[in-house]
Amino acid sequence: MWLVYKKELLELVRDKKTLIFSILLPTIIVPLFMFGFIKFASSKAQEVRDKEIKVAVINAESLPDFSDIFSKEKKFELVTLEDSNYEQAIKDEKVDFVLEIPQTIQAPAQSLKQETVALYYKGSSNLDNIAMRRLESALDIYNKNQRKALGDKFGLSNDNVVAFTKPIAIDKNNFASKREKSGEAIGSFIAYILILLAVSGAMYPALELGVGEKERGTLETLLLTPMKKWQIVVAKFGVIFTTSFLSIVMVLASYFIWSLILGFGAMLKSMGAGDVIESISGMDMFLIGSMLLPVTAIFAALMLIASIYAKNMKEAQAYMSPIMMFAFFPVLIALLPGMELNWKTAMVPITNVSLAMKDLLKGTIDYGLLGMIFFSTLIIAGVLLYFTTQFFKKESVLFRS
Amino acid sequence: MIEIKDLAKTFAYDKKEAKQRKKKVITDPREGAGVFHAVRDVSFKCEQGKVLGLLGPNGAGKTTTLRMLSTALEPTAGQILINGHDVTKEPLYAQKLIGFLSGKTGLYHRLTVQENVEYFGRMHGLGKDELASRIDQIFTMLDMHSFAGKRADDLSTGMMQRASIARAVIHDPKVLVFDEPTTGLDVISAKTVLDFIESFKGSDKAVIFSTHHLHEVERLCDDVTLIDLGETKFNGTTAQFAALSDDGNLYDAFLKTVNDKEAA
Repeated sequence: MWLVYKKELLELVRDKKTLIFSILLPTIIVPLFMFGFIKFASSKAQEVRDKEIKVAVINAESLPDFSDIFSKEKKFELVTLEDSNYEQAIKDEKVDFVLEIPQTIQAPAQSLKQETVALYYKGSSNLDNIAMRRLESALDIYNKNQRKALGDKFGLSNDNVVAFTKPIAIDKNNFASKREKSGEAIGSFIAYILILLAVSGAMYPALELGVGEKERGTLETLLLTPMKKWQIVVAKFGVIFTTSFLSIVMVLASYFIWSLILGFGAMLKSMGAGDVIESISGMDMFLIGSMLLPVTAIFAALMLIASIYAKNMKEAQAYMSPIMMFAFFPVLIALLPGMELNWKTAMVPITNVSLAMKDLLKGTIDYGLLGMIFFSTLIIAGVLLYFTTQFFKKESVLFRS
Repeated sequence: MIEIKDLAKTFAYDKKEAKQRKKKVITDPREGAGVFHAVRDVSFKCEQGKVLGLLGPNGAGKTTTLRMLSTALEPTAGQILINGHDVTKEPLYAQKLIGFLSGKTGLYHRLTVQENVEYFGRMHGLGKDELASRIDQIFTMLDMHSFAGKRADDLSTGMMQRASIARAVIHDPKVLVFDEPTTGLDVISAKTVLDFIESFKGSDKAVIFSTHHLHEVERLCDDVTLIDLGETKFNGTTAQFAALSDDGNLYDAFLKTVNDKEAA
């Protein structure tokens, strides 16, 4: 059995396709592409944050202090429009925002009522939203000044003005730790990624070791050797399991290394992952890895069954697609808002593992439930492996044509 | 010695196929209700030191018979005995004693020839020294030393077939089964293969040699078994088989045997 295991592993390592799809693609190409994309997106966002926003204030003389804020504030440029076709001017990028002040307007501190200024702009992307937020915070300066002037007019102190603006201020005291909060936000997502890697990592070696052997005629050669069929299955399962689990470890390690190389540590912190990463212990990592073991075993067995049953590669891939769906749905359930690990959700395979991983990252795991989930998942994996060995004994499966 | 007695193998159609077949007019006697009797009644015997030629048209049931013999398939009825041991009841015993080569038994393409042969030798329980000595002996006989380090996917058809033969005989089996071993080979490679098979004549091995090339039967085979429509049509010596034709050639004897059966 060990002989078959070593041989299968050697063949996979020598396969260029395996190296490309199982190692090169997930550990180098995908992270580089992903980090490149994130870097590009963040540099674009920074560009919008730093860029000089062009603002045109129409009838500025009606409300002199108003347009002054754009002269005083950094990174704003007051521009003058030659015609009244604002839409065309914005489309031609001559101006980003047009503020049209009514000719009869008075400052609110004088009219003692709310006044309206029309804003013209083109906002469709997140980058436009960043520019809008910058404009709004500049406008807040004018509003703040007006509130103060109104307060003075009515003999109100600053505190009175604040009370008018926001009668009740909420002083939030959240007992959830930072780790719990960020773990809740990213825990399910990390579990999703890990389980996804377990499924996709099992797919390619399963294709090679099952239907690949059928297509190349080596399966029949193997069946003629004095080795029990269950031993052949266990060896093949072992190789799929090993490569799948190793690919998860390698992918995680590669993302960690790439984030260090490309300086994404600070970005991860800004995304809220910092508290989880800093507070997660070696034991938590070990437990997350342990939960992944039976899950990987389940998908290794399922992929091997599909691959052995199929007549050719195309058919095998068709069978593997529903298995991928079978993996995704329970994980997606775990992503739903309000889903928590309890005795009920612990009964749902894969969903339970996903929720347990989230709780491990949050630091709120119930170890009794964790043990129950581990052993129940292990039993499912064992049953599936047994079923695979029985399946491999059927002539109608091995010589299906 | 290997003895095959009243061997039969029936395959069940899947539901869809069975439904489609119900609608067709079927003349093949091997078709049953939802099943196909690929082998109905095959018996023959191959003794130590002899080469038995297994003949039959395409689809006669030769490969199914050989697959049962090699333990890949289990017979529906009948017996396969090697030195008195029932292959079905003792498959591991049989697998140690049988060396099987067919067009469908491939090699691992990403392993070298040497690694392939070593792998199967070790699967059969050969020790390091014994394996090295067997490899040297077989590689010399089949003139394989020059490409022993090449990966199987870099081999020509002839090299591949010689490597497959080396794989099949590495464990020094007592029963050798060759299923069309010269198909697709050039004259030189075919000669190497045939010389190798011929070297087993008079040895301690029983050789079953399935082929469509009757000149190979003439050259190598002591006995002949002809199978058609899943049944043994002829069992006897090559000379007896040739005598079935008026002018004593195997080609006419083959056609006569098959045609006689079809007329019946």
